[in-house]
Amino acid sequence: MAQRQAEMRQFNTVRWTIYILVALVVVLPYVLRLPLPLKFTPSRDVRKLYDRMDSLKPGSHVLLSLDYDAASQAELQPMSRALLEHCFKKGLIPIVMTHWQSGLGLDKQVIDEVANKAKEALGKEVKSGRDYVFLGFKPGYSNLVLNMGENLKGAFDKDYFGQSTGDMPALQGVTSLKDIDMGVDLAAGSDVGMWIAYGSDRFNFPLGAGTTAVQAPDMTPFLDSKQLVGLLGGLRGAADYETLLDMPDGGTTGMLAQSSTHVLVILLIVAANARLLLGRSARKRE
Amino acid sequence: MFLKRLTIPLIIVFVLGLLAFVQDYVPHPLAGEFREEMTSWSRIIGGFALFLGAYSLLHMHVTRIRRKTAGWGYSVFVFIGAAFMIVVGLHNEGLGPLQDIEGGTTWFDWGYDNIVVPCGGTIFSILAFFMASAAFRTFRARNLGAALLLIAAVIVMFGRVPISETVGQWVFGSSAVFPKLTDAIMDYPNLAAKRGIMLGISLGAISQSMRILFGIERSYLGGD
Repeated sequence: MAQRQAEMRQFNTVRWTIYILVALVVVLPYVLRLPLPLKFTPSRDVRKLYDRMDSLKPGSHVLLSLDYDAASQAELQPMSRALLEHCFKKGLIPIVMTHWQSGLGLDKQVIDEVANKAKEALGKEVKSGRDYVFLGFKPGYSNLVLNMGENLKGAFDKDYFGQSTGDMPALQGVTSLKDIDMGVDLAAGSDVGMWIAYGSDRFNFPLGAGTTAVQAPDMTPFLDSKQLVGLLGGLRGAADYETLLDMPDGGTTGMLAQSSTHVLVILLIVAANARLLLGRSARKRE
Repeated sequence: MFLKRLTIPLIIVFVLGLLAFVQDYVPHPLAGEFREEMTSWSRIIGGFALFLGAYSLLHMHVTRIRRKTAGWGYSVFVFIGAAFMIVVGLHNEGLGPLQDIEGGTTWFDWGYDNIVVPCGGTIFSILAFFMASAAFRTFRARNLGAALLLIAAVIVMFGRVPISETVGQWVFGSSAVFPKLTDAIMDYPNLAAKRGIMLGISLGAISQSMRILFGIERSYLGGD
């Protein structure tokens, strides 16, 4: 009994020490406002997506499906911001929508924020219905994508603000997904696979994706088969895109905290295995 | 009775399942109309599922409060949160439900921005603490397979953060060493494993769909 209690005490001490260490390495870089001493080269898959977006002519339509909610905003919201900034900078027309009702407020926030920023940076007002379209949320998931493939304005007869999509200047020349020049799905769930199966493969438009770091390895088969033109994986993906855009923001500032946390986890793994090996050799000696 | 309980649902599943499958390959306007009809139906059924989900959630928390099970106090917050969002959503700044509000921030927006978003982010961020603790306690090189997995994980974890480029430059004179190693792990062993898993899952899903379509698999009807 006493031994069990001692083991539990030790377990709790180790656990809380790790929690405190993680909290410190995550929070300190932000609190102390440490500068980012790390230079990094954007990864291959991010560069591919950036180059594809950058090669589009002004006035091209980019469908952005922001399929996430507050739980994944730390990783995916910086990606949304960077992609929208790229669109406005290049004069592309983003058509924003979501399959996640709980993420609708975040989508509205990021659009307003980037539109206001673009107004300051570009000196011209970025207007809904003319420079971008916010379609909002509609249920249906894969069926909705299929309907958009048949008739986009039928699937969304009004945008988020209640404006009719039928005669919207920003949607001139767009009748279905076949007229989209590029699609990007930023997803916290299994939405990328659905967009490939029911959207890009069927209606023949290039698709890129952004996912949480945990999901990024699942996307490699789609990158290899060219069903995805590029990928932003986790916060690093957002930071890489910001670097390519030369507009450092939330992704870049998060890199120091992410680097220190990854190093801490690696050190913890090394420490645990060193303890295991030392224990083994001590038992052998006995 | 038997006909109603078993045969009719099986016929509905077979006919609609077959039509849903076939419409994918038929480039005829009728197929598109059928799909739009099915979309409407799926939304209606989804609406019922929402009621069922809400009922199930609230019922579970009512039971927890009534029985005073451990942590029942948290269940009270479920009702407070749900009631707050429902009331301010329906009140809609005095305009009533489903009315558009031009500009400004509503109480519903305030609840979303200041409660839903921070709480959602907080819950997910707790994972970092658990993962670090779990990595320390369970990631051990007990045998060759575990050691290989561990080495691959450490390389990928390190190669994915910018500090790996700085360290690579110091140690090997090239900042690309760790990112390239990471890409190699992702492009070959990871890709092969992921593709195998995807093919397996897809074949399983196809065979299960066929079993349901032809009435071999009937557990969804509530039987054995």
